[in-house]
Amino acid sequence: MIVSFFNPYAGFTGLVAVMLAIFLSHNTGLNKTSIENGTYSFNALIIGIGMGSMFNFCIAFWLVLSIVIILSVILSVIFQSRLRPYGLPFLTLPFVLCFWAVLLVAKDFEAINFSFRNIYWLNDAYAIGNQELVSFLMFMEKLELPALVSTFFRALSSLYFQNNIFAGILIAAGILIHSRIIFSLIVIGFLSAYGFNNIVMAHPEGMNYYLYGGNFILVSVAIGGFFVVPSGHSYLWAILSVPITFIIVMALGTIMAQWNLPVYSMPFCITVLSLLNFIALKAPKGKMVLTPLQFYSPEKNLYNYLNAKERLLNANHIRLHLPFIGQWMVSQGYDGNITHKGDWGKALDFIIVDHELKTYHPYPATPENFYCYNIPVLAPADGYVQVIEDRIEDNEIGKINQQQNWGNSIVIKHAEGLYTKMSHLRQNSFKVKTGDYVKQGEIVAACGNSGRSPEPHLHFQVQTTPHIGSKTFAYPIAHYIAKTAAKVEVKEFSTPKETEIVYNATANTTIKKAFEFLPGFNLSVAAESMEEGKWEVFTDAYNLSYIYCHHSKSVAYFKQNEIMFYFTAFEGDKNSLLYYFYLACYKIYLSTEPAVAAIDKFPLQLTKNTIAKWVQDFVSPFIIFNRLHYESFNEADSKDFFNSGITISSKQILHLPSTKKTVNQFTIEINEDQIKSFTFYKNKKRIKAVCTPREY
Amino acid sequence: MTKLKYERPLIKKMNAGMMNKFGAQRENTPVTHIDGVSVKSIIEKYGSPVFVLSEQKMRQNYQTAVRAFSTRYPKVQFAWSYKTHYNNAVCNVFHQEGSWAEVVSGFEYKKALGNGVAGTHIIFNGPDKHIDELKLAIENDSLIHIDHFEELYLLIDTCAQLNKKARVAIRVNMDTGIYPMWDRFGFNYENGQAWQAINKIIASGKLQLVGLHSHIGTYMLSTAAYGIAASKLCDLAVNCKSQLNTVVKYLDLGGGFPSANTLKGAIGLVKTPSVDEFAEVITATILNYGFKTEDLPLLILESGRVMIDDAGYLLGSVLANKTLSDGRKATIMDFGVNIMFTSFWFDHQISPAQEVSQFSEDTVLYGPLCMNIDIVRETVNLPLLNRGDHVVVHKVGAYNMTQWMQFIAMRPNIVLIDTNNQTHVIRKAETLDYLEQLEVIPTHLQQNK
Repeated sequence: MIVSFFNPYAGFTGLVAVMLAIFLSHNTGLNKTSIENGTYSFNALIIGIGMGSMFNFCIAFWLVLSIVIILSVILSVIFQSRLRPYGLPFLTLPFVLCFWAVLLVAKDFEAINFSFRNIYWLNDAYAIGNQELVSFLMFMEKLELPALVSTFFRALSSLYFQNNIFAGILIAAGILIHSRIIFSLIVIGFLSAYGFNNIVMAHPEGMNYYLYGGNFILVSVAIGGFFVVPSGHSYLWAILSVPITFIIVMALGTIMAQWNLPVYSMPFCITVLSLLNFIALKAPKGKMVLTPLQFYSPEKNLYNYLNAKERLLNANHIRLHLPFIGQWMVSQGYDGNITHKGDWGKALDFIIVDHELKTYHPYPATPENFYCYNIPVLAPADGYVQVIEDRIEDNEIGKINQQQNWGNSIVIKHAEGLYTKMSHLRQNSFKVKTGDYVKQGEIVAACGNSGRSPEPHLHFQVQTTPHIGSKTFAYPIAHYIAKTAAKVEVKEFSTPKETEIVYNATANTTIKKAFEFLPGFNLSVAAESMEEGKWEVFTDAYNLSYIYCHHSKSVAYFKQNEIMFYFTAFEGDKNSLLYYFYLACYKIYLSTEPAVAAIDKFPLQLTKNTIAKWVQDFVSPFIIFNRLHYESFNEADSKDFFNSGITISSKQILHLPSTKKTVNQFTIEINEDQIKSFTFYKNKKRIKAVCTPREY
Repeated sequence: MTKLKYERPLIKKMNAGMMNKFGAQRENTPVTHIDGVSVKSIIEKYGSPVFVLSEQKMRQNYQTAVRAFSTRYPKVQFAWSYKTHYNNAVCNVFHQEGSWAEVVSGFEYKKALGNGVAGTHIIFNGPDKHIDELKLAIENDSLIHIDHFEELYLLIDTCAQLNKKARVAIRVNMDTGIYPMWDRFGFNYENGQAWQAINKIIASGKLQLVGLHSHIGTYMLSTAAYGIAASKLCDLAVNCKSQLNTVVKYLDLGGGFPSANTLKGAIGLVKTPSVDEFAEVITATILNYGFKTEDLPLLILESGRVMIDDAGYLLGSVLANKTLSDGRKATIMDFGVNIMFTSFWFDHQISPAQEVSQFSEDTVLYGPLCMNIDIVRETVNLPLLNRGDHVVVHKVGAYNMTQWMQFIAMRPNIVLIDTNNQTHVIRKAETLDYLEQLEVIPTHLQQNK
């Protein structure tokens, strides 16, 4: 924007155009979020700048401008609704179409005159600034830069309808500060075009700067890192996309020349839309990914994508829990060598053992003397009871029933194509019947010794079809604790291994209630020398929950399940209390037993501006070497079951290739089932924020 | 060649009575070792009689009980019943296993604190809590189980004085269909006193109602009674939530689970229910009562006897044999009811500690006291024993070492066999000095000046 004010007329017209577009879209009741994102106004901005720099101001000019802006908003809405279902942006299509229309008719409107300000731009500079500015700009123009470099800067300046080196340098610097990825893509796009032109010699005398800027560079950025998550592959496509655009530019140029119309960014629109559509349809999964959520920065897009891939891959999966209470041992894991073979390999057998790993007491080994015999078996997740088999007697120890292999079994349907089955249950132990809806954790039957079971154990498998005897399907357990001789670990979306002792974690009621942010929950947060936070919890149309701060207008998205609370995204003011709360409570384990730390990773854009960060940004599509870790630990007084007070301490740790350092440290005080306060460091000063629930 | 053991001659009436599948009840399989340590060596080292406790057995019992409950219910906590056995070494075995402490008097309370139990992990039961003890318990955030209204009012006043909220539960007694009904402890459920007490607690604003407690009896052979007790406590808990907006955080079902001893007067072999069977009834009742998962109360159990009874042995020796006036044989042992109080309740199993012949006879087993009540077993079928022979009395771990007396004889050593089969004295045999330590003789009665 600043750069476009080099041509103040153009800047001013752009501003007017945007305001008009926003005013229009508000009054036609368009989607508010889209309006705020500038969806309907950015084409108007370019039209405004373009017309402002091309025509002299007069009443007729403003009238025509208004009409064209209206048209651009209408086209924006139409293109948006037609292209969105394919996940495609509508780019600058409205601008190109509107501007062509203006150009075709402008010469017939006698009231409107072409301006030659662009040619005499030094006059304008003199008018705004003074002699010094002019001489500075002249100096810049005369600077003897290598042709390649000066062309590059001029090309950049043409992005904003300019043609001078200084504007180009400013733009380049601005882009570099904003995004290293965009900067590198601009260079790549420019070089690709330059190289291609030198080979095919389309413009032996050198190319029009506007072609570079308006099309090649933009295509490179769009394909390399904006609409596609940046990666090595996207960079290759960025290089390749330029010659494609080149050919379209030439072809379209030839056609449009008949009407004396420049191609503007039409080739850009055509190439980008074609390539994106192609990528969406055909690109191998994982190598090229269309930006799932646009953060208007390739770095953010990339880091958020990588982070989400690590953290949230399973967030929407159906969560299966271990189908029992207390500690059981995996006696046979996936593809075990006793019976879990072939198509039926992805199954788990569980037993109960004592400290000496014995499975029964006292002697003799009758089914009743086995620890797991007649112990309740639970529904691993909510669902409908699909099948129950309950007619098979228990075996004596050591004997097996190969006629009715699975013994008494229950199949529960959790979703289309997702069933769980528990087998070898005790006859007449079923607490539910076919067709019942069961909740996760509800007792459905008891462990027994029926079927192909020489001694009491629980067989558990996930399957995609509803029959007893269906093939198994590998599907992880959402959350459990695994105990081996060496350590106790919290496992997420993992499959218990043979000989591990496993159990479901139980939530700590105090922490769980403190983090139970239900829609409508209000919190006032106050800290010394910080703006007060006025937080409210909302749930949006996509069922995403977030905390919104009415003062800072910041948003922090979160998720919670029975055992974890975690933030998924933050947008807004990074000086707000909500931001520090987001950092402090990035991932909270809602349990104190066992005492283990919750470990997670932040998206990398949260690292401070350092050389290491810039280097990382430049190479981020290819390699990630910086890591920003998160760790939280619940310091419950283990001596106090009622936990009236719990302190959670957490920290943010930056891992660089050579060193690691703690960036920030936080504590969260919980008392009487509420978050009472949290502390963090800001400018090396420890700040305490006090939270008070707000009444309506 | 070793000298053959002398065995006195025996004339026995032919008994061709009804066959039964158990055969004649004989208890003459010798028990020569406890946890791998020979009885003979223990007696040589620590004297006779001597109590022996098996640490391994205690831990096993604890783990079995925990497993029985924690595989059926997600939140379970055991509290070691101090009155069952409050020797510090024993208490610490259970505390190491994760047990809280359940105490019924001020000195037990202080013992628990001394054993390093956090105040918040001590349950303070009993009808006689002194005001200074209550203050201590309030300060330590212990769980005070109120027994009567007088105590309730005292607590409210004390809390007001200290300006601190006490964590309390009420003990509830109820009709669980068994006799005798223990209605002398706590507040009655059926007549509404329990609900009245709860209301007073909430209304006072000085007390925090955290739990409900019942203890329906001791040596209970009916599991169904626990189901009834649990459901009545659940009923109160649900009402607390719905009517008083108070979430009851724990239900304490007390203790009372039997060990495998034989109650006097039991006919034939009565099968005592296992901990699993009690667990099944109690947990199923609570789980089916309709609590929300996050409001499921913690289940506390105060089992003592079932944890330690069969981990305790009494080793003793024969003093003499007699023939009584009616022709019955009698054997006099060096231990009696003074240190084996439970022989009033149980027919303790007694085994010889050395090889014996296949012959046995019915005998009356007397203790060494010159008191007529000192009868260890009224009749027991034992092999023929001589003076100096050793016997092992089984399942004496519970209550004996807290209810014993130094009457005529003093209290003997208690020896613990640890999990590595090493023996440790955990309470020394009493001496005259110890006995006279607390005595004060007024000057005019002092003989040796």
